Amino acid sequence: MVLLVPRQIRMTGMTGSVPYYGGRLTPAQAHAATQPRRYAPPPPPPTPPRRDPVAALDELLTQGVISRAEYDELRARVGS
Amino acid sequence: MTGPVQVLVVGFDEPSYSGTVLAELDRLEGAGVVRLVDVLIVQRGDDGSFDTLPPPPGARDGLGRIAAEILGGGDSDAEPDEATWSLADAVPPGGVAAVALIEHLWAESLVGAIGAAGGRPLGELWLSAEDRARL
Repeated sequence: MVLLVPRQIRMTGMTGSVPYYGGRLTPAQAHAATQPRRYAPPPPPPTPPRRDPVAALDELLTQGVISRAEYDELRARVGS
Repeated sequence: MTGPVQVLVVGFDEPSYSGTVLAELDRLEGAGVVRLVDVLIVQRGDDGSFDTLPPPPGARDGLGRIAAEILGGGDSDAEPDEATWSLADAVPPGGVAAVALIEHLWAESLVGAIGAAGGRPLGELWLSAEDRARL
């Protein structure tokens, strides 16, 4: 057995391309509408692991991003 | 290549090597009606991938090569176009199909006559069995 990757080939009629369908779907469009999606949508981006909020606050305090007062306030909100 | 070439895809539960279809095509070719350009047997896996299957025992050397070149060699990431078609549109996952390229020799002169008369294609379809019964 040999792997075969189907190629998209242009459809045409025996007498040539039939361009006008009175505003309706062409056979090609109608055919495509009846087909399931051949390509799955890309998976959602992975969600980052949830950090320990206390550890995050400790880090922010160490880095000087927040003051001691802000730290205490936020720490009280987070709880133990 | 002179006449219009039809891509005919026929599904089977199992590969059928009875030879009856090829024999009929041989008969039509002998009568100058059609010419079997090539035939390829494919199997589609449940994951959507395609494999070619060996040609029937006793088949001519290279059978399936032309069809594989015409219908294969695609890009698995290519987006389908509304005016295009591929084997993936016809063969369901898990299916086996014979894919034939059939040149309609009889149509060459008709298509030429239509073009010479200035005709342009506006519609082309096959009548259903129900409507054929009304003929």
